[in-house]
Amino acid sequence: MNKITVHCTVNHKPVVVETEPNKRLLDLLREDLGLTSVKEGCSEGECGACTVIFNGDPVTSCCMLAGQAEGADIITLEGISVDGKPDLVQQAYMESGAVQCGFCIPGMILVTEALLAKNPNPTREEAKQALSGNLCRCTGYTKIVDAVLLAAEKMRGEASR
Amino acid sequence: MKEYAVLAQDHVKVDALEKVMGTAKYAADYQMPNMLYGGVFRSIVPHAYIKKLDLEKARALPGVACVLDHTAIPGKNRFGIIFKDEPCLVDDKVRRYGDAIAVVAAETQELVQEALDLIEVEYEELEAVSTFERAMEEDSPKVHGDTNVNVTKHLEYGNVDEAWETCDVIVENTYSTHILSHMFIEPDAGLAYLDEQGIMNVIASTQNPHYDRNEVAALLGVPQNRVRVKQATTGGGFGGKLDISVQLHCALLALYTKRPVKMVRSRTESTMVSSKRHPMTMKCKTGATKDGKLVAVDCYMTCDAGAYSSYAPAVIGRAPVHIVGPYDCPNVRCHAVFAYTNNPMCGAFRGFGVPQAAVCHEGQMNALAKALHMDPLEIRMINAHHVGSVIPTGQELTESVGFMDTLKQARDKAAEVMPEALERLKPE
Repeated sequence: MNKITVHCTVNHKPVVVETEPNKRLLDLLREDLGLTSVKEGCSEGECGACTVIFNGDPVTSCCMLAGQAEGADIITLEGISVDGKPDLVQQAYMESGAVQCGFCIPGMILVTEALLAKNPNPTREEAKQALSGNLCRCTGYTKIVDAVLLAAEKMRGEASR
Repeated sequence: MKEYAVLAQDHVKVDALEKVMGTAKYAADYQMPNMLYGGVFRSIVPHAYIKKLDLEKARALPGVACVLDHTAIPGKNRFGIIFKDEPCLVDDKVRRYGDAIAVVAAETQELVQEALDLIEVEYEELEAVSTFERAMEEDSPKVHGDTNVNVTKHLEYGNVDEAWETCDVIVENTYSTHILSHMFIEPDAGLAYLDEQGIMNVIASTQNPHYDRNEVAALLGVPQNRVRVKQATTGGGFGGKLDISVQLHCALLALYTKRPVKMVRSRTESTMVSSKRHPMTMKCKTGATKDGKLVAVDCYMTCDAGAYSSYAPAVIGRAPVHIVGPYDCPNVRCHAVFAYTNNPMCGAFRGFGVPQAAVCHEGQMNALAKALHMDPLEIRMINAHHVGSVIPTGQELTESVGFMDTLKQARDKAAEVMPEALERLKPE
């Protein structure tokens, strides 16, 4: 199989990867770039565990081919933390008790980041809507939605804790 | 109120940081130098003898390190959490859709799939036993041995037969619950390798590393101190990762190839072969006095437990003792029969059969309330367990019985958030 070369920006750094054309974006990130925070849960775009931020929008990386990343700006969970420390969204997830098994959390946090970049003051309903493509089997979602709203408060500088 | 260090305090969970940072390592995230990928050739029929199995074409494919069937197993080929009735690789016959017949290790996941596609099998199909009723018929094919009865349990407390005379009202209903998949968000995965001391190391997504170690040691025919099992950060289990998944297959391939072997199940494969919640049918007769006091409960509980036992012997111990629920009742009988069939294996799933029993006892409480024109909440309060209650096992509850308080709080909360629903429950 002839390899292809993909040029893109991953976690704020320019990347050039030579890879197989039959790979999915998920495989490119996990296997070629070692970004294993990107999880594979269903392989058909249903569970949202493989979510990455692609040109500002959350997408399921299991449903994109690696070649589609050409020229794109991609953020994974590894690109969220600041100097090795959790950012406000990550802190909110920890403090809200939103993390149980943790497998869905990379996707959840990235969706939250993408939401708050566009809507810094979401209602509970808007937060649920944003998370509607991401499945969690442990929590029942309440604390995850709490985390989104706490993160929004923190980012607006309103959180008391 | 007393101040506690942990209770009623906010705490960040010990593993939350690595999970929000994306550094927590789940089984599929492990990589090792020189690592092979593994895959499983599975049955596409539910009940059959294997007439012919041809592995040669798969073995001849360049990049395939090894293809094994049951003859390669150096130790035991029967596993299971309580009864050892499930093979690592089918030897005598296929007992369910998805039974493992052969395993492949190859340089890439694509080659694993190509090799699996080259395996040829001929089945001599048997009638599939697909219901409890068929399983119990004399002329049905037997899934294991000479009976399809997997396990039975009988609970007898007080004197049910005499108690009916003292009942003012009796309700009889049959309740069925369905089979259910845990659908943990992380599909099963694992990796096995022999270390420099010859110890078999298995890293897996599991809820049961100690049990896994026993099973891997039995498979390989080595003492337990020659096997080490490490639980990777595990993406949910809910009981579904108590049974063996990829551990045995990875270890067998690592033994033969002397290389690390990783297996990651697809969602389809994971759902096909992981355990399920036991579907139960409960035929229940419940009697009470005219003022709503429970007098007697008699239940016949049946279950299609699937092709292998898994946790059925534990589930059948739990469900019958909960058949009355959190209510006082002086006369209780529950006879339970779980059968082997050629359906998916049922196992542990949050509650071990107790949620199934709840469908029955709560249905019966509602039926009694209706028959007596009582408020369904009131009939529950009349019978609710309290300190001093004796449950059908003969155990006296001596402390910490919070059911009545829970009912009251639920009633108050319901009045606050869903008053119209509470109104609908009022007796006619």
